[in-house]
Amino acid sequence: MSEQAHAAGDDHDHGHGHGETSPFIQHHYDDAQHQFDSGKFGIWLFLAQEVLFFSALFVAYILYRYHHPEIYSYAHKYLDVKMGAINTAVLIFSSLTAAWAVRCAQLNQKKGLILCIVVTLGCACTFLVVKYFEYTHKVHEHILFGRYFDPCVSSGGNELLTKNNECPGSKSTIEWDYGTAKPVAGCFAAVGIDMDRAEEGIQADCTVFEVTGELARYKVGEDGKQKEGKEWVEKSRKPIAHRCVEEVFGHDNADEAATPHAESGGAAAKKEEFPCWKPAIQPAVCKDGWFFAWSCTGILCTAPSGGEGPFDTLDKCAGGRSAKDGALKAEGTAWISDCAEGRGAGILVEYGDHAERGETTRIKAECKGPTPPPVVADPLAERANPLVLGQKAVRPKHQPTTHELHEREAAGPPPEHTNMFFTIYFAMTGLHGVHVLFGVFVFIWLLIRSIKGHFTPDYFGPVDFAALYWHIVDLIWIFLFPLLYLIH
Amino acid sequence: MASTTHDHHDDDHRITHTASIKVLLSTGGSLLFLTIVTVLATKVDFGANINLGVAMFIAVVKATLVVLFFMHLRYDKIFHTVVFVSAILAAALFVGFTLMDSNQYQDTNIWNPEHPPAAPYGPRPTAP
Repeated sequence: MSEQAHAAGDDHDHGHGHGETSPFIQHHYDDAQHQFDSGKFGIWLFLAQEVLFFSALFVAYILYRYHHPEIYSYAHKYLDVKMGAINTAVLIFSSLTAAWAVRCAQLNQKKGLILCIVVTLGCACTFLVVKYFEYTHKVHEHILFGRYFDPCVSSGGNELLTKNNECPGSKSTIEWDYGTAKPVAGCFAAVGIDMDRAEEGIQADCTVFEVTGELARYKVGEDGKQKEGKEWVEKSRKPIAHRCVEEVFGHDNADEAATPHAESGGAAAKKEEFPCWKPAIQPAVCKDGWFFAWSCTGILCTAPSGGEGPFDTLDKCAGGRSAKDGALKAEGTAWISDCAEGRGAGILVEYGDHAERGETTRIKAECKGPTPPPVVADPLAERANPLVLGQKAVRPKHQPTTHELHEREAAGPPPEHTNMFFTIYFAMTGLHGVHVLFGVFVFIWLLIRSIKGHFTPDYFGPVDFAALYWHIVDLIWIFLFPLLYLIH
Repeated sequence: MASTTHDHHDDDHRITHTASIKVLLSTGGSLLFLTIVTVLATKVDFGANINLGVAMFIAVVKATLVVLFFMHLRYDKIFHTVVFVSAILAAALFVGFTLMDSNQYQDTNIWNPEHPPAAPYGPRPTAP
């Protein structure tokens, strides 16, 4: 440790008749043994302090894991075990060479000492480089702490619609091909996301969102073709799962739906006629990531011409189908019909594999007329009430096993407060990484001194103490690795 | 003074214990081996708690190896062991006491009839 640095290059009288011994033995010590023992006691006190220092973070980890095991079983899949294992091996190997360096110093093997320090230094740098790759990947994918946790990819490898609507690589997110009405690139890839994993039988997912303002614009070049990229101009895109439908769908009849660019004038009049949406309940669903969309001024199944949901079986969904009045559209994976301007809203419905759900898969998208929702005194009781749209999606053919539940869970969106895992992850690995970085400086210092030949069998304290420090850094990683990377 | 009591170049009277190459290599080897074991053990489903227990057991064994041999605690003054172990005990106390009453702070709602807590599911209660 650096605090053990003693008067490197001192030329003063060392006194006590130690002329033969190392010039680094300070005169206020009786002898080399005394100096070494004092330093060693000091470094052990420092290590004890380090244990306590890190224990605060371990408390945070243990408490959070104890109360929220689901977060840990989900979030660790964002971490690369291979990277963690490599770093573990690297640190263990560097611990070996650090311990060997002490041996070399004790035995006055200068070359061996230098070699061991160089290898240790190299391992420390390797560790930091691996860490750098891990961190940059997480920054890129928005797998970060606190409110910056906004991953584009679920731990199951599926792409997620992020709350900022951002994808890795492009901020503008969605490459939308209006010709084929399909997303070319972006977070809207069809994946099986289950919003309500806890609820048996409901396997569809939806993300209800509101889009106001311009949705997307092409940049068109002189040749009339689309220039690089599109501008994604977005005034707002916020989840509205808790909001009432009428706030989103400003219009309530097919006539207005037919004129997509109309202003939402009739919104206020019909305000009470639409029930609220429920986050846990899934609306109309089809197989394989269908988007059900409404033209921007459209309404949801409440048109005068009858809003009975057309999507009650899977086969009806195949090939796309529109609502009778055209207010509701389902065309492949398209969700934007003609929402180039104005107000739009949609439900992103994403679904798993068809085969997984069997022949009897029956999806009911029940669309009710404009009946006001009953005022529920007990908000919890509301859960049992019939749903507006697609309340009950699928009843699985068999009870899922634990493994299947885990798989499904991993493929889905992050459970609430998953960001806490990464807050803890970054705090722990970050603090540990700072220690490694500090170790790098210490070993550089040791390297210089060992090349100068400062270390002798009666003066090798700095090597020993630095090695002890390095071992405690390794020790902490020995716990961090299984706790963060190897959660089952 | 003590100048004649120690000959620091005498192998029998070195300042402190020198680890043998055999001990160093076998410790390092076992640590790497245990790392592989712990990674492989994760892939077997013993149930979440047992998996955690196995991983922690292996980690403790590895840590013990590091402390005893790499950090020379086995050959060191007993006082250093006391210092280190008491730090770990203090940390355990820290964890234990924090865990003991942490349940007390879960789901704390201070009821306010004006602003009842939000429903976990379903819509917000609409105003009459």
